[in-house]
Amino acid sequence: MDMLKYVGTRFVIFVVSIFVASVVVFGFMAVLPGDPAVVALGVNASPDAVAALRAEFGTDRPLAVQYLDWVGGLLTGDFGTSYVTRNPIGPIISDRLAVTSWLVLCAMAVALVTALPLGTLSALRHRKASGLAISFGSQIGIAIPAFVMGIALVYVFAVWLRVLPSGGWVVPIQDPGGFIQHLVLPVLSLGLVQGAILTRYVRSATLDVMREDYIRTARSKGLSGLPIVTRHILRNSSIPVVTVLGLQLTTLLIGAVVIERVFVVPGLGSLLLDSVANRDLLTVQGVVMVLVLAALIINFVVDILYTVLDPRLRSS
Amino acid sequence: MTDLVPPAEPTAPTESPVAQPEIVTEATAGRPRRPMGPLFITGAVLVGVVMAAALISFVWTPYNPIKVDAAARLQSPNAEHWLGTDKFGRDIFSQILVGARTTLYVGVIAVGLASIIGTPLGIFAGMSNRGWLTELVMRANDLLLAFPALLLAIMFGAVFGASTLTAMIAIGIATIPSFARLARSGTLQVMSTEYVLAARIAGRKPIAIAWRHVLPNVFGLLIVQGSVSFAIAVLAEAALSYLGFGTAPPTPSWGRMLQEAQEQIFTLPIILLWPALAIAVAVLGFNLLGDGLRDRFDPRLEDRR
Amino acid sequence: MPNLRKIAASGTAAGLAVLLTACNAGAGSSPSAGAGGGSSATTAAIAFALEPENLDFTRTDGAAIPQVLLTNVYEGLVELDQDGKIVPLLAESWKVSTDRKSYTFELRKGVTFSNGSPFDASTVKFSIDRVKKDWTISLKKAMDVVDTVTVDSPTRVTVKLSRPSNDWLFKMTTRIGAMMSPDGVADLANKPVGTGPYTVARWVRGDSITLKARPGYWGTEPAMSTVVFRYFKDPTASTNALLSGGIDAIGNVAAPDSLIRFESDPTFKIIEGTSNGEVTLSMNNKSKAFGDKRVRQAVRYALDHQAILDTAWAGRGTLIGAPVPPTDPWYEDLTGLFPHDPQKARNLLAEAGKTDLTVRLRLPNVAYALSAGQVVKSQLADVGITADIDVLEFPARWLDLVFNKHDYDMSIINHVEPRDIANYANPDYYFGYDSPKVQSLMAAADEGTPEQQVADLRAAARQISEDAAADWLFLFPYLVVARANLQGLPKNGITESFDVTGLSR
Repeated sequence: MDMLKYVGTRFVIFVVSIFVASVVVFGFMAVLPGDPAVVALGVNASPDAVAALRAEFGTDRPLAVQYLDWVGGLLTGDFGTSYVTRNPIGPIISDRLAVTSWLVLCAMAVALVTALPLGTLSALRHRKASGLAISFGSQIGIAIPAFVMGIALVYVFAVWLRVLPSGGWVVPIQDPGGFIQHLVLPVLSLGLVQGAILTRYVRSATLDVMREDYIRTARSKGLSGLPIVTRHILRNSSIPVVTVLGLQLTTLLIGAVVIERVFVVPGLGSLLLDSVANRDLLTVQGVVMVLVLAALIINFVVDILYTVLDPRLRSS
Repeated sequence: MTDLVPPAEPTAPTESPVAQPEIVTEATAGRPRRPMGPLFITGAVLVGVVMAAALISFVWTPYNPIKVDAAARLQSPNAEHWLGTDKFGRDIFSQILVGARTTLYVGVIAVGLASIIGTPLGIFAGMSNRGWLTELVMRANDLLLAFPALLLAIMFGAVFGASTLTAMIAIGIATIPSFARLARSGTLQVMSTEYVLAARIAGRKPIAIAWRHVLPNVFGLLIVQGSVSFAIAVLAEAALSYLGFGTAPPTPSWGRMLQEAQEQIFTLPIILLWPALAIAVAVLGFNLLGDGLRDRFDPRLEDRR
Repeated sequence: MPNLRKIAASGTAAGLAVLLTACNAGAGSSPSAGAGGGSSATTAAIAFALEPENLDFTRTDGAAIPQVLLTNVYEGLVELDQDGKIVPLLAESWKVSTDRKSYTFELRKGVTFSNGSPFDASTVKFSIDRVKKDWTISLKKAMDVVDTVTVDSPTRVTVKLSRPSNDWLFKMTTRIGAMMSPDGVADLANKPVGTGPYTVARWVRGDSITLKARPGYWGTEPAMSTVVFRYFKDPTASTNALLSGGIDAIGNVAAPDSLIRFESDPTFKIIEGTSNGEVTLSMNNKSKAFGDKRVRQAVRYALDHQAILDTAWAGRGTLIGAPVPPTDPWYEDLTGLFPHDPQKARNLLAEAGKTDLTVRLRLPNVAYALSAGQVVKSQLADVGITADIDVLEFPARWLDLVFNKHDYDMSIINHVEPRDIANYANPDYYFGYDSPKVQSLMAAADEGTPEQQVADLRAAARQISEDAAADWLFLFPYLVVARANLQGLPKNGITESFDVTGLSR
């Protein structure tokens, strides 16, 4: 029952957080300087035209009304109609979110695949040269801004060797081969840097676990090498690593925007930047809300995962 | 920013007992000092180089870093211009020196803001015996975590105009949760020690306890977090400059130098290297410094070496 | 158990929906018509910087929409050729009455819109009337001078103006002259319907717009059956795409220093032409600092324009001494009026009592302005003017503060509208330049004969330049870099459209 109660409390907190977040996001838009109608109409627009467009957008109504209208729509999954594209916002966001998700999830996969073995290895050999080399390599990886990594990869693989496209996006179902080709460089630039970060967490978590008594016991009983790693260390070190993964996912959904810019990928971050520039406030609100929602969901899931992975937490 | 996840080894982002630092309070002082590790020394040297560059730039630069000289544009490194010149004919070495100031400024503001707000909040949440108040502070903290630094920086940039200060305030605010959580978990442990119990029984005021006992004991870990957050802020400034939300021209900033030099990748790629190298040195320096300090302040590591 | 099954079913449905979204990621909300992008003999992909926000230029301002749609999708009665001359398009010919208030157009026969509707005199009337009625962008003002539009026969239409205007026919070559069909304006933002050789086949937002040649076009069928406009925010990304074979040309190079890479490579060619873009250093004539003509003149003497062009834009572009590009009939070389002379600038400042002047240079966050602004700041410092750079987000903040509220001392922006010298006759414009002489010259120019127009505007331009109403840093170049085998690119950038109808390989 404790477990259920814990999940229940978390859920209530989750829902309240979403509500508070929606107020914060809307508040931001209210203080954003620059009138969407003026931006849409451009230079020399007559005051009448601006007023008419404001009425059409509904930005002339009291803020409270606009807020309730927006939140009411969100509850039914309606994000409203964009000021500039004059299309429903929901489908645009889900399309861009899908693009960014490909990027981020593949990058996280790359990060995990590099970080788990390297991190564990560097912990197991933390007194040896190879362990130190991995640690040092990951430090270097962290010190390189991801977009510099991206620019370097483009220069080498697209411009110099000409084996991969320099950027752009191909819809997966229309051309799966091209899709994968276009995905490689952006995923590598994101994934390698994230992998370097993750390696250090895995290393540290593994070192922590290795100090635990049961590992020492297992070792003293003669267990060693792979079994000890798989049976004891990985499983226990996964707990803090899951937290970090959650945090990385949260920041990457928007953090990928830099890589999206380098590789001309039409993702969620680019949509946000464009909409801010065009003062497409409803789209900005929608994107920010989706990002915050994703972060809250990831937080919630991590919290729950925690209790699953770590039985000690269930009773507390 | 892809670079915004704390690259430090974890200091328990959630409230789990798993990776909680065991702070042994007063005992710290009595413990024999560990020798400075190679990490600490390397980090300190790199950070020292950055600081020296910033200090030197106040009294001397080979050229005026913002003086445009059409005749000297896009020179490779040579005797007059040691690192070459950019497309405005400005001396890159001078810009790197002055850019170090911007980098330190960026870090000080972001980390300063985050620690000044986050630490008291965390200590308060750890000491308060009113559960709902603690809960409120920590949930607000969690909510803040849902607004990644880059998102805040973009939105702040749109509202207040893009500048170094706006970007750094945004990054600082986004870093508050790291400090608050760390301070709280540290506080919780200090509060359960015998001498704090004794102080409470003796009727010491909470403020006094926080000041005399809690803060000194969590200070070490906060310094570690500060050093690591500093590195993150430097990377964040670079990414924001790339997106056009960073330092406004002509103030030299390594991030903007990188962004401006990008177009020269075919003509003079070496000028892309300098700011990238400078950023890497600063980030590496602060991260290593953080690791080195952790070795000193985090008792968990004691039996590791 | 039915409940569980229901849950499972809806779970599966949701899963499928997610899968579908994932597989269609980036397809955008427009209907797709096959994959575009790759190069072939009949396909070309060209890079541009600014993507349209939507496809409705009647209600959304900005250069990106007419750039892709005009001439390619929409056509007008007349168009501007590459030398700046007005030539027939959907009108075979036209006559101007002796009082120059009445224009009679003979229309081309057999023209249809892409939705199949015929083009005739009634659609001309519909289109012109619609500008006055339904358009909201500021350019619609050019249609105010139209009094009535009369359908004389299906192929003849007469437009009566309320006063003679030389500018009106010229404006008919821009987007406001675009001919639209009454049954093709329901969803202009997404489905443009025009008489041009191409239709919009696909729009992947954030990436590209694909134009396809349509059957039934009245004129010569274009050689390229597919032309893709690809949008790159980052100029280096477009350079990389051209080098790695992803695209065939860059439509307006925004990183001119990168051209060195293409100059030495015979597989590429560079086209450098002229444009209508005057990169203008505005000085708020109503501000304390620049209310004094001598201070404005001092700024013009203080600046070394060649150095600005060389550093900020790699020397690509033309120096101009007035807001008139060389392709306008009233162009005169006025670059000699204010030669670079820092001592003269200092003297003028001393005369005006402004030896220690600090001003705000509020720049839009666009590449050329940020580059040029840094050079201007450095050069002004040499004569004792401190210019504090303040970067404003473009368009939102810049429009609001500088353009609408006139809250600035100096700014830099590329004025790209064709024949926009008229702005200097508007004292409420953000320049704040108020010269009755210039105003009367311009009014006379619009109503007078074409010869008088040229003479009056030439005089006005000289006056504007002598008064230092603003400073013109350089004329923005029209810069295209393309694969050497791509033929038929426009040679100048003086129209609102990027005309791809003549492309071939």
